[in-house]
Amino acid sequence: MAERGGERGGFGRGGERGGFGRGFGRGRGDRGRGDRRGGRRGGRNRDEEEKWVPVTKLGRLVKEGKIRSLEQIYLHSLPVKEHQIVETLLGPQLKDEVMKIMPVQKQTRAGQRTRFKAFVVVGDGNGHVGLGVKCSKEVATAIRGAIILAKLSVIPVRRGYWGNKIGKPHTVPCKVTGKCGSVTVRMVPAPRGAGIVAARVPKKVLQFAGIEDVFTSSRGSTKTLGNFVKATFDCLMKTYGFLTPDFWRETRFSKSPFQEFTDLLAKPISKVIITEDVERTDV
Amino acid sequence: MGKMGKVTLGMPGPWAEDDHEAADHYTTKVGGVPDWATPDINPDLLKCSSCGGRFYFVAQVYAPISSSNVEVEERTLYVLGCPVPKCANQSDGWRVLRVQKYRSGHQSSDSRQEEKLPAECSTSTSSVNNWWETDVWMQGSGKQSEGGDDDVDLKALSQAILEAASQASCAKKQNESIMCSAVAAKDCEMKSKVKDSSIAVLPCFYIYNEEERSLHGAIEKQYSSLSIKDDQNLPADSADDENWEAESYEYDKALGADRSYLKFKKRMDVYPEQCIRYSLGGKPLLAANDVGEPGNCGLCGAQRHFEMQLMPPLLYYLQQAANGQTTYSPQDWSWLTLIIYTCSKNCFDGSVKGKSGDSCWTVFEEYISIQNEGV
Repeated sequence: MAERGGERGGFGRGGERGGFGRGFGRGRGDRGRGDRRGGRRGGRNRDEEEKWVPVTKLGRLVKEGKIRSLEQIYLHSLPVKEHQIVETLLGPQLKDEVMKIMPVQKQTRAGQRTRFKAFVVVGDGNGHVGLGVKCSKEVATAIRGAIILAKLSVIPVRRGYWGNKIGKPHTVPCKVTGKCGSVTVRMVPAPRGAGIVAARVPKKVLQFAGIEDVFTSSRGSTKTLGNFVKATFDCLMKTYGFLTPDFWRETRFSKSPFQEFTDLLAKPISKVIITEDVERTDV
Repeated sequence: MGKMGKVTLGMPGPWAEDDHEAADHYTTKVGGVPDWATPDINPDLLKCSSCGGRFYFVAQVYAPISSSNVEVEERTLYVLGCPVPKCANQSDGWRVLRVQKYRSGHQSSDSRQEEKLPAECSTSTSSVNNWWETDVWMQGSGKQSEGGDDDVDLKALSQAILEAASQASCAKKQNESIMCSAVAAKDCEMKSKVKDSSIAVLPCFYIYNEEERSLHGAIEKQYSSLSIKDDQNLPADSADDENWEAESYEYDKALGADRSYLKFKKRMDVYPEQCIRYSLGGKPLLAANDVGEPGNCGLCGAQRHFEMQLMPPLLYYLQQAANGQTTYSPQDWSWLTLIIYTCSKNCFDGSVKGKSGDSCWTVFEEYISIQNEGV
């Protein structure tokens, strides 16, 4: 007890006036050197950038490892609010690429103010793709911001067959069309070996999605890059929205991760969660 | 807004050795047992208004104020939360209390502490007494040692301590004496207090403060961890014979997150461990656009202004700590931030001003607003 008393002499306000910050005394470290619980926090560690402290409940579940694949998140339509979630779940397979940097100009009294708009696509080449658009004063900031936004917008892409169901799915399951602004992009299933028949920019998005063969056709003002690329992205989003006979089977309702992993059992859910068994559709 | 545009961040410090260990009301900490600055807290304040259950003590923040017109040194904010999920998702399930002391020219040592000294300290072990003795003799001027070195005269010792403590209470700048008496009092309380492990408390850790640096440099440093292939910095335009139309500015948008949340997350990522943001009179960092109307102070009618907010890493650390322990942890809490507004005039309850001595503490409830995750 004597030792504790001696060390605690560091407490006190130190005669300093002032707000929250200056009101602190010294001797923070005197109290409690316990390392009992898992992991020291040590607030002054150098690798603060790599360390991820989750902000949302979903992030906490992913960090603990209770959720192991993105499909569980898609199954319950949970919004992904932290890009580190996608990084953790997809890991090193997630690749990113800058599609285009465009200058955006604004007229001000002191001349023109130029900012840069970066279009970035991320994907693992196996059914997950994301698109990010960010404007910023510097190119590097725009690119990095767009990568984060792209990771937040990762969606699942459904692939199917053109004819015989041999091997892995390689094309879109059916004809789908997506629209953004005046641009509509239509994707049609293609036989193996056809490759991606599309313009350069949507071709990149489709490659990252993991689609190997597809015919596309576009309409509208495709000179607007933003709308064109968002229309293809919207088209890919719809692949899982299309009801095919595979989905005629009655869905099995499963517990949302939030319910499954809480210690207290909450009240029974008032509305039924209708889910699609996304894990069964490929093959 | 306020004169302080700067924001002070409360970063997580060391864990407490024992969740029930007591500190004083000058400590900023999360979880554990609350260190009330004054013992007369209305027990109704410790109960949830919507469900009637006992509140959990979440955090205490020592927040003295020093400005041109208001100067309060003895001021602490206590944040309480209800563990019931239904209450915890609304602002009703949370309460913040401001406990401050009316400045009557006396120093910090409470009369309560002084009374306790002679009564409790006689039970202390001799080794502690000896340590005390040396310190007290150093501070107290012209004190004679009653007993010999081996023979500690308890009565004289307690008398001397009382006198030294009263000396300390009159002096303004004798920090060592204050610490000594505060430490002495605390030691007594520690020994006399039964370790009440029956009260369920949250895991306890202490907070140290750090000032938030300006954003620009920090964000660049944060982004450096994201990898960019060097050869794809600017895609080759030579192969590109398409003429794209001019683009216009576009706000940040993601599938699951809106613009205000993305700004919130961006500032969080600069200091990913921040547990508390403190900015008296400043602007809060909102996670969603709607924050309830803070209204006016119930006591004096002045406008309430923002003082501080609790951030999600606090929740993360509490849940991490409770994973391996039997301490209760609120797994259902999933707020994004708790914003606390206090009276801008920092008012007192006028009725207690008449009391003599130093024990005129006021306990007052302030406004707290919760921002949830939204799904």
